[in-house]
Amino acid sequence: MIPEQFGRVGVLLAFALLFPALPLAASYAFYKLRIRPENHDPIKDATYECGVESEGTSWGQFNARYYLFALGFVIFDVEVVFLYPWAVVHAELAWQAILKASLFIGILAFGLAYAWRRGALEWR
Amino acid sequence: MSAALDPIRVRVRVTSPRLAVTLGIVLVLFGAASIGIAYVVVSGMLDGHWYDFRDLGLGMAHLREWLNEVNAGQPAALSAFLGDQWISYITGALLGATGILTFFGLLLLILVWVERRLIGRIQVRKGPNRVGPFGLLQPVADALKLIQKEVLIPIGADRFMFYLPPVLVFIPGLLVWAVVPWAPNMNYLDTNVGVIYLIAISSTATLAIFMAGWASNNHYALLGAMRTVAMMISYEIPLSLALLMVVLMTGSMQLSTIVQWQVDHHVWLGMLMPLALFTFFFSSTAELNRTPNDIAEAESEIVAGFHTEYSGMKFGLFYAVELGNAVAVGAFVAAFFLGGWSLFGLETWIPPYLIFAAKAFGGYFVLVWLRGTLPRFRLDQLMSFAWKYLIPISLLQVLLVAIEVTAMRYMHFPDFVELSLVGAANLAFTIFIVRAWATFLGYRPEREQVLKPTMAKQMGGLRAAEEMRTR
Repeated sequence: MIPEQFGRVGVLLAFALLFPALPLAASYAFYKLRIRPENHDPIKDATYECGVESEGTSWGQFNARYYLFALGFVIFDVEVVFLYPWAVVHAELAWQAILKASLFIGILAFGLAYAWRRGALEWR
Repeated sequence: MSAALDPIRVRVRVTSPRLAVTLGIVLVLFGAASIGIAYVVVSGMLDGHWYDFRDLGLGMAHLREWLNEVNAGQPAALSAFLGDQWISYITGALLGATGILTFFGLLLLILVWVERRLIGRIQVRKGPNRVGPFGLLQPVADALKLIQKEVLIPIGADRFMFYLPPVLVFIPGLLVWAVVPWAPNMNYLDTNVGVIYLIAISSTATLAIFMAGWASNNHYALLGAMRTVAMMISYEIPLSLALLMVVLMTGSMQLSTIVQWQVDHHVWLGMLMPLALFTFFFSSTAELNRTPNDIAEAESEIVAGFHTEYSGMKFGLFYAVELGNAVAVGAFVAAFFLGGWSLFGLETWIPPYLIFAAKAFGGYFVLVWLRGTLPRFRLDQLMSFAWKYLIPISLLQVLLVAIEVTAMRYMHFPDFVELSLVGAANLAFTIFIVRAWATFLGYRPEREQVLKPTMAKQMGGLRAAEEMRTR
């Protein structure tokens, strides 16, 4: 049963949300009690950029290099997740299991070697 | 310094020996009193029962037995979700979560001081020593100051998303402590998919960091967030591969079983698989965004990375959770690779959770030591190290461990002989592959220029140096 197994994580999750919310609430209470200042002006609230005015928004395109690494990550992370069940039962399996697993790892290693050869792993 | 040379008249404060002596006496008296009270309670002088505090899980089990008796007469309101003994289930969960939260909160308070003092000691300066005795009240002063700061949110920012990340980073920060095996019976969540749970929960920190960088609408913050995400996802693969070796060797993803395996075989997995230990530790520093891998907040390049726009208490939360995560990494290194709560049979006498905490703080100390010693790596160096170095050699090591486990099944030598062979094979493989792969990547040690600092001795001794200076 999922709730029985992981219900206690839910309790901890609620605690994890409350714990950082407390200091933020205290900060807000300090503002209500007029202990903490709140004097805004356009210069103070401007986006920080080492003294010059920030040019445009930063919600735009960024380097395509990141997507290549993200794709590589997805492939390899899924691979590792598939390998965990094999690792748990591995001691009870015979030599064949190693052959099959090494075939699986080998295909992905070939993919990694190919990506490396094509220069996808270079950070430029 | 004489007064004549000191026009600003800096007030030099020296800690008086009287204060230190008084504090010491108070501490000794307090310790003696608490040991006496503990002895009276534990030995049963009050009620004739002998209490076992070496494992807090036992006390919890007694409580749950008693609650189950109470539970028997109650209507089974929640039994469809939480099993038949739902009162003891909820009580256990609440008590355990409160325990973890108390530990975590105290940890954050004391670590602000510990970390700064240790770094100060390593960098030959004093660290915080003004607020309270030995600067011990510095974290309280810091928290007070941060709470009182004005809340600044840049005009262009996404206001709702800007508030979320400092809260969200606490979810992985606190939830990873659920699977920590403190003692044989002291687990909050002893699930049979503990390793997967750990990987899944810890990887959500990436999301919070990217949200922070995106919501700030600041070029530096977004750059820092992108770099952090790229680094964290790259190092998650070697980290999972290192844990895969642990699972292969022990045949279980349950953390208590992994520790029990090390106890039963009288060996630490770190000795059997040094490469896995190194990979796990180094990848963890990347996941933590700590030096040598702190390109997330490379202040010489991108101001402060993803939390450039965060100030006041929101910055304090980011700072605090990073310290807590560092100790969590120490705890998991201890559980997976350093034998957990066991210490050569001493766990019968010393409470196992104290041994475990000592090992966890040992791991944390190494992290602080690294931070005080090493400079920062460049982003492209880090990415190359993960993808071209750690991942290929970890894959090879995984296959080697798989072959060893199968071979151990067919061999019928004593445990000691088999594990010694495995350890020797893995050590030899580690030394070989580290050199061989570096050569394959084009590293030639003979071509490296060796730069040595000029010592006073080479200039003719300290007296010559003094003469040069005073001339």
